[in-house]
Amino acid sequence: MTPRLRRLRLQREEGFTLVELLIAMIVLTIGILALVAAYTSGYVALNRATRTSSEQLIADSQMERFRALNYNNIQLNRTCGTNCAEDTTYTSDSTYSSTAEISGCTTTDTTCLPTQTKTGPDGRSYRLDTYINYGCVSGTLATSPSLTCGTGQPSPVKKVTVVVTSSGGTGTGSSGAVSTREQSSFTSLLGS
Amino acid sequence: MGSTARARLSRRARARLAAEGGFTLPELLVTMAILLIVVASLASVLVSATRSQVDASARFQAQGQARAGLNQLRRELHCASAVTQTSGTALTAGTAYNAISLTLSSVCPTTGGTSLFATWCTSASTLTTGDFALYRVTSTSTPPTCATSGKVKWADYLQPTTLGPPPASTPFCLPSTSAACGGVLKPTTSLPMLHVVLPVNLNGPTSTKDGYNLVDDIALRNGTRS
Repeated sequence: MTPRLRRLRLQREEGFTLVELLIAMIVLTIGILALVAAYTSGYVALNRATRTSSEQLIADSQMERFRALNYNNIQLNRTCGTNCAEDTTYTSDSTYSSTAEISGCTTTDTTCLPTQTKTGPDGRSYRLDTYINYGCVSGTLATSPSLTCGTGQPSPVKKVTVVVTSSGGTGTGSSGAVSTREQSSFTSLLGS
Repeated sequence: MGSTARARLSRRARARLAAEGGFTLPELLVTMAILLIVVASLASVLVSATRSQVDASARFQAQGQARAGLNQLRRELHCASAVTQTSGTALTAGTAYNAISLTLSSVCPTTGGTSLFATWCTSASTLTTGDFALYRVTSTSTPPTCATSGKVKWADYLQPTTLGPPPASTPFCLPSTSAACGGVLKPTTSLPMLHVVLPVNLNGPTSTKDGYNLVDDIALRNGTRS
């Protein structure tokens, strides 16, 4: 290479244009964002799975307690003041009916409280709502003059619904509250 | 295309092929250095992700085993006609035990058609010093103990439920209406409920981080409501 050529090369001023640089940076950013999104969605899914499984354990545990009771003792305590408060979250549930709730329990056992807070195996707090009302396996429920499901139909059953909601987050989006619902029917054949 | 035009084209093509302009060594070095920084940072993210994935999967497995153990125990407790200490003595209400023995009739789904005694017990973990593992062992003649051969491990990485010395894992407790187990009393007019605590933690016997505390009250369905 002659000295003149070398000088020429050093003097050269061509490079990338701003547009080229911008395009390259945008492409790189899109790639990095996609990677980050994959991590985030993995984390959200894991979190959700943990909460759902904890909720199921709490719901199962509450149902198990009802199975241990006899038919007559499956009832809520609605007259114990702040412990038995039924807030708007409780009363806005589709299972709730102010007149059909079965009450009569006088203790603050976990089966008697309409709303309570439980700690899940993962250490988080969960809200546990319990609804108890009458229902029919077949036929239509009539409460007057006596509790019946109609002529020739089996006796009414007590339907227990357990709703567990994780309090970690609001809304119903992927990162919001998750809730688990379990329902079981109990007949008087269980013994009173 | 005329012959003059063709000649001009081939001349241009030849010139391009002959051109030797490229990247200089400093340019290449700078590019490689930048690339190295980017790749290194990506690689470190990848390594930490892999590490946390391995950790999460181990935790998931340990928790799954404990849940499976609890499910099996629940099925057997629901069917058991008696739950005693391994000596055959009745359980004292409110006292936590490291072993319980279940009397199972041949109709129970987990017996394989033979009446037997199934003992659930905890014994030192073989994986982490200070931790405990949950075992099940069966016998057709007398209630077996954890020392009996042929025991099957159902869960591991259980933290001691009573802190020592010596530390012990006593996951089973039968509450009464007056003697509580872990703050839980038996409700009135309810079947007896066995209180079971399985604290799973991969970070050793005293860690309070990342624990999975499985607690359940299982009804003894062949008991009497009182």
